Amino acid sequence: MEKQKETQLVLRYGRNVIIAIVIMVAYAFSFNVTQIDLPRLVTDFPKAVPIIRDFMTPDLLARAEQVESYVIDYPVPCGSGQEAAIPTSGPRIVPSQLCSEPKAVITVEGFDLKPNTDVQLRWLLPGDRRLRSAKSTTDAQGYFSAEVEIRPIVAAKDGNVTRLETELQWESGSLFPSETLKITIAKIVETIFMALMATTFACFIAVPISFFGARNIMGRGPIGTVIYYIARTIFNLMRSIEALVMAVMFAIWLGFGQFAGVMAMTVVTIASLSKLFSEAIESIDEGPIEAAVAAGANRLQAIAYAVLPQIIPPFIAFAIYHWDINVRISTIIGFVGGGGIGLQLQTWINQLAYNKAGTAVWAIVIVVIILDNVSSQIRKRLV
Amino acid sequence: MPESNNSDAAQSPRLSSAPWLAAALSLPIPGLGQTLLGAMGRGASIFLAVAISIAIILWQDLASLFSLIAFIWLWNIWDAYSLARGTTRSFLPPLFATLIVVYVSGWIITEIEPDKLFGQADRAAPIARGMLSPDFAEQESESRKERGAFEVHCSNNPPPTTTTRNDGATITLSSSCGEVDDTLLVEGNGFWPNLETEIWWANPIGQEQRLTKAGEQISITTDDQGAFTVEIVVPLAIPLSHDTGEPQPHAVQINQTRIIGGWQISENGWLVIEKMGETIAIALVATSFAIFFAIPLSFVAARNLMSSNPIMLLVYYVVRTILNIVRSVESLIIAIVFVVWVGLGPFAGVMALTIHSIAALGKLYSEQVENIDFGPIEAIRTTGANWWQIVAYAVLPQVVPPFLAFTIYRWDINVRMSTILGFVGGGGIGFLIVQWQRLAQWEAIGAAFWSIMIIVALLDYVSAKARERLV
Amino acid sequence: MLEIKNVSKVYKDGTRALNNVSFTVQDGEFLVIIGLSGSGKSTLLRCINRLIEPTSGQIILDGTDITAATPTELRQIRRDIGMIFQQFNLVKRSSVMRNVMAGRLGYLNPWLSLLGIFPKEERERARRALETVGIPDKANNRADVLSGGQQQRVGIARALMQEPKLLLADEPVSALDPATSHSVLKYIEEINQASNVTILCSLHFLSLARTYATRIIALKDGIMMFDGGPDEINEKRFKEIYGEDAVRV
Ligand SMILES: Nc1ncnc2c1ncn2[C@@H]1O[C@H](COP(=O)(O)OP(=O)(O)OP(=O)(O)O)[C@@H](O)[C@H]1O
Ligand SMILES: [Mg+2]
Repeated sequence: MEKQKETQLVLRYGRNVIIAIVIMVAYAFSFNVTQIDLPRLVTDFPKAVPIIRDFMTPDLLARAEQVESYVIDYPVPCGSGQEAAIPTSGPRIVPSQLCSEPKAVITVEGFDLKPNTDVQLRWLLPGDRRLRSAKSTTDAQGYFSAEVEIRPIVAAKDGNVTRLETELQWESGSLFPSETLKITIAKIVETIFMALMATTFACFIAVPISFFGARNIMGRGPIGTVIYYIARTIFNLMRSIEALVMAVMFAIWLGFGQFAGVMAMTVVTIASLSKLFSEAIESIDEGPIEAAVAAGANRLQAIAYAVLPQIIPPFIAFAIYHWDINVRISTIIGFVGGGGIGLQLQTWINQLAYNKAGTAVWAIVIVVIILDNVSSQIRKRLV
Repeated sequence: MPESNNSDAAQSPRLSSAPWLAAALSLPIPGLGQTLLGAMGRGASIFLAVAISIAIILWQDLASLFSLIAFIWLWNIWDAYSLARGTTRSFLPPLFATLIVVYVSGWIITEIEPDKLFGQADRAAPIARGMLSPDFAEQESESRKERGAFEVHCSNNPPPTTTTRNDGATITLSSSCGEVDDTLLVEGNGFWPNLETEIWWANPIGQEQRLTKAGEQISITTDDQGAFTVEIVVPLAIPLSHDTGEPQPHAVQINQTRIIGGWQISENGWLVIEKMGETIAIALVATSFAIFFAIPLSFVAARNLMSSNPIMLLVYYVVRTILNIVRSVESLIIAIVFVVWVGLGPFAGVMALTIHSIAALGKLYSEQVENIDFGPIEAIRTTGANWWQIVAYAVLPQVVPPFLAFTIYRWDINVRMSTILGFVGGGGIGFLIVQWQRLAQWEAIGAAFWSIMIIVALLDYVSAKARERLV
Repeated sequence: MLEIKNVSKVYKDGTRALNNVSFTVQDGEFLVIIGLSGSGKSTLLRCINRLIEPTSGQIILDGTDITAATPTELRQIRRDIGMIFQQFNLVKRSSVMRNVMAGRLGYLNPWLSLLGIFPKEERERARRALETVGIPDKANNRADVLSGGQQQRVGIARALMQEPKLLLADEPVSALDPATSHSVLKYIEEINQASNVTILCSLHFLSLARTYATRIIALKDGIMMFDGGPDEINEKRFKEIYGEDAVRV
């Protein structure tokens, strides 16, 4: 007796040691292949600062752009046209020469302009073309000066004189939603709809096929058992593919865009919902069916009276739950060609426009949190 | 107390005695009459349904759906009237109308085009083929290429018509020099027998092209002795502009491939295995890291432990809010930040997954802490146990099994997540998938696809079993 | 008149739940079946409306052989046999009204009944049935908010909807406390006396059986041990039915 106990103890001890070794090896391997380098988190932190800062300062609001511009004729070469008359007081632009030869460098000054404002000089060439020139900023007195090179292209052509434009630009007026915010809102609504359509399509298919995966419906006969196992296996396999991986294929099949994303999510949702639905069907109370049958109901009536009332509420709860999940997924499915806000997010990230991307991310956060709460409230009521 | 249908309306006796007033209130603002009659939920739902429908219709410019809005609006007036008189109308008709608005606009916004599913089936065919014949394993094989020299524009000294290779295989041409478009009889002997054999042409700079006859690639099968005969036409193998009229050394080339061994994992198969390992490793490391941070956080985010004074309550709210925000950002998006921060590779993926998992686990753990039963704690305390003993005997047994169950569950989710982190450079198998998508290597994607399915489904099963035992 | 002739039931796993049981029930009887747990009471009752297929024997109700009925005929026959269940077998999420209506399914137009459309007289009938069991005000409540006794009364109302000739009750009160048990059995007794409905009811407590039964049948391991009036059960019989160690309650 004692001996047996001892061997058992040794065996258990040995098993635990082996499990410990396996776990240690798994961790060693994992650390190795994932190239963990924690110090880099600190040393390379400066690289992350701008992106995090931009994410934290999303581009939400803008003010109206105000523009003020002063235009004078500027003959190049001299004599090709009338020289501008420069006023002596009030806001005015004063070039060091009123006309010049090509390749000359002149100084342009401005007086009594709007103080502390960005200034952009431009050549208005004959034929409606524009050429950017120097940039400057006015001081507190509204004065600026800038060096301007007269490039040959500025020369008068066919008797049309080139004009020098000085544009002051500043923001003022009330805040209004920025362009980024508008795009974000449109895209996030699109995203919510993508999730809605995918979930709805999936329901249409999952509802009928979930019965194949329900043990109590399929019975214990050989055919029923085989169908049950096939259905369950397919559900489990398909469920394990991320919608994003599916989208990789649908994007090629259907072209990049929302439709590909919707279809990818639909396929994964079908599998996942079918499994949940089957389990809901399996957990129904059989008593009411028996009661309906005992009262002389036929099969259809028994289902309508005893089965449907029991499964519809959990079905709706699961569908809403999946809509919620799909909204999360559809925020990223655009990364592989699935459309929605993910696509926009990726575009902005590729343009390194991180504060625009930040806007999208915050929109995602808000929508996901709201939907999360709404869906859990609805589910609580249904169950 | 007996319930009656008009119990809502009974709260507002004045309005319920004036059904027309209720109807009039619902005319300018849908749902107002119902709300004032005491049916708050009903009123709010009607208002939301109308508001959302109008917003969508205006945005998407779907003027044709305005009749539905008109219907809902009119119904709402009638409903207010009926409600005031004590009858509650079925809300199915307006619900139906709202659903039509939502789904019609959803269909348009998400650009659903079912005909594409079939109209572009040709694009799906190679994908489907790839899925069905994943490039995971291949049979070991060897191949040979043998050439018989041929001169375009005969020189004084053309090559021999018969070339003999090391193993005794011979290629005999009916003529060893000639012009483009000449017909040539190629005879082979001593090749590998009973094998599909391809006829190629090699030009002077070694470029090879497969020969065709009437637009079809020529393919012949060698006989038992490894012999074959085939008629070919000398192709235009270098551009006419390069043709100086000088003799050019071309060659007829015979390609054979035969299987010599059993199945072995192909090159792409090895890549898939390597990256799958990386995928699982990312999930494992990230989950483990997350546990360390999530456990202390969960105590700070548990209301029952943090409500003793206002400062702690504030900390609780701040931590909960941060957890909720982080949890709602997919790890793929967090990975973008880490790819900039620590560079491309699995480490970025690990960090992204860690951050997301801390938030997710932190919330799940803290709910468990909130559910701790204080009965056992009191019971142990009355036995005179010290603090550590209380934790060991009354607290840990309550939280450790659910913590473990949630952790396993999270690991499971993380494996799925790490299959896609590679899409933004975060390591794992996703990296291969996007690469192969660009190259349209669907057989390789098929291998990745099946590996993910089987491994994730297996882990799913194992983790479900493990959790069952824990709970 | 219900005739049970040599009915036996052997389950797939070889359990012999009924062993050659025969008896005859006259119209208007209140027949109580007693016996230990596992003695075959439920099996017997369920064989009568063929929720369980008897392995052999005949069951004849008013001259019709139930055991030989085709599926369509069986549905016709079942309309005349009400049944009350130990666990009530209500759809918990559905309203009381809808649950009661389920008793009428055998008569209703299948398609209209699927849509939940009922003729006015059926709704009236349901209201009367609920009145009979004393809960007319619960018609619009969800079934799961009712107490156990009320739920069983809904179960009785559902059976009443069938206007049955025969009412089978399988331990209708074993999930209820003693006082509620009496009130539920009183309703069954009332149906028995007022409408002359034959009752076959299985019960656990001999005291209840003696109060309500006009006749008692006892089963032990699938064999009929006793058939007689409620007063005929003496100490000896009791020990036979319930075993030597049993104490009377
Ligand atoms: N579906 C079945 N398969 C196999 N054996 C069964 C089945 N149903 C019942 N039995 C067996 O048949 C016998 C009689 O069961 P029955 O349910 O009729 O007893 P009962 O008298 O109603 O008991 P209780 O008072 O506990 O309800 C028991 O031994 C039981 O284990
Ligand atoms: Mg029983």
